[in-house]
Amino acid sequence: MLRQRAIAMTAELLVDTELLRNQVREKYREVAVEPHRAFHFHTGRPLAVRLGYEPDGVDALPDRAVESFAGVGNPFSLRALQPGERVVDVGSGAGFDSFIAAGHVGPTGEVIGIDMTPEMLAKSRGTTEMLGLDHVTFREGFAEAIPVEDRWADVVISNGVINLCADKRAVFDEILRVLKPGGWLQFADIANGRPVPPDARADIDLWTG
Amino acid sequence: MMQEAGFIDITIGDPVDTFAEAGGAEKAAQFDVHGYSFLARRPSP
Repeated sequence: MLRQRAIAMTAELLVDTELLRNQVREKYREVAVEPHRAFHFHTGRPLAVRLGYEPDGVDALPDRAVESFAGVGNPFSLRALQPGERVVDVGSGAGFDSFIAAGHVGPTGEVIGIDMTPEMLAKSRGTTEMLGLDHVTFREGFAEAIPVEDRWADVVISNGVINLCADKRAVFDEILRVLKPGGWLQFADIANGRPVPPDARADIDLWTG
Repeated sequence: MMQEAGFIDITIGDPVDTFAEAGGAEKAAQFDVHGYSFLARRPSP
């Protein structure tokens, strides 16, 4: 039942898209610039350990690539990326999963991270420059309008982002568009095992806090 | 919803107690919220 509920996410828009985006952008601006303060979710290296990331890959990254990580699962746990694959990271934040992906696909592959928060983009781009990676780039954009051409990606990854989007069907339609036929979607997100009352689902403050 | 969008071969991983001992743990427990990994494919032609 829980797994059916996780897939059958509600199709109706419960909150105003732009209002939600602004609230999410503000929350993740805080995670970008003040990563060590307390949030209602875990962050950084302790979270990566909790979610089962391979220590070698995490340990190899500088603090600025990991400290603002705020994912909810491990998008690499059900399938390993292959060398040479093209990857799109939807909601890339400060770039943690993009940099992990870059290590897996190697220099013959390519990773494009997409995020809507300027402070996160500045951080991920700065880390890319620091690491000297030329197969990782970050673009400003929304999950519902991914700035990547049709059928470009072998894999789309995402971590804790789709649950923060008002129009989830639009996100899945966009992911399908940028994937090559036969391409993989591997993402992590939260799902509830007990129903959330309608008034709580419509309370925008509960989406981010 | 993923099936409606056209994805196939959908697999869901085991639940992870991602909010345990975090500030949001109580609210997460109230609605049995966990993190999950998902895997799916775009069909080949």
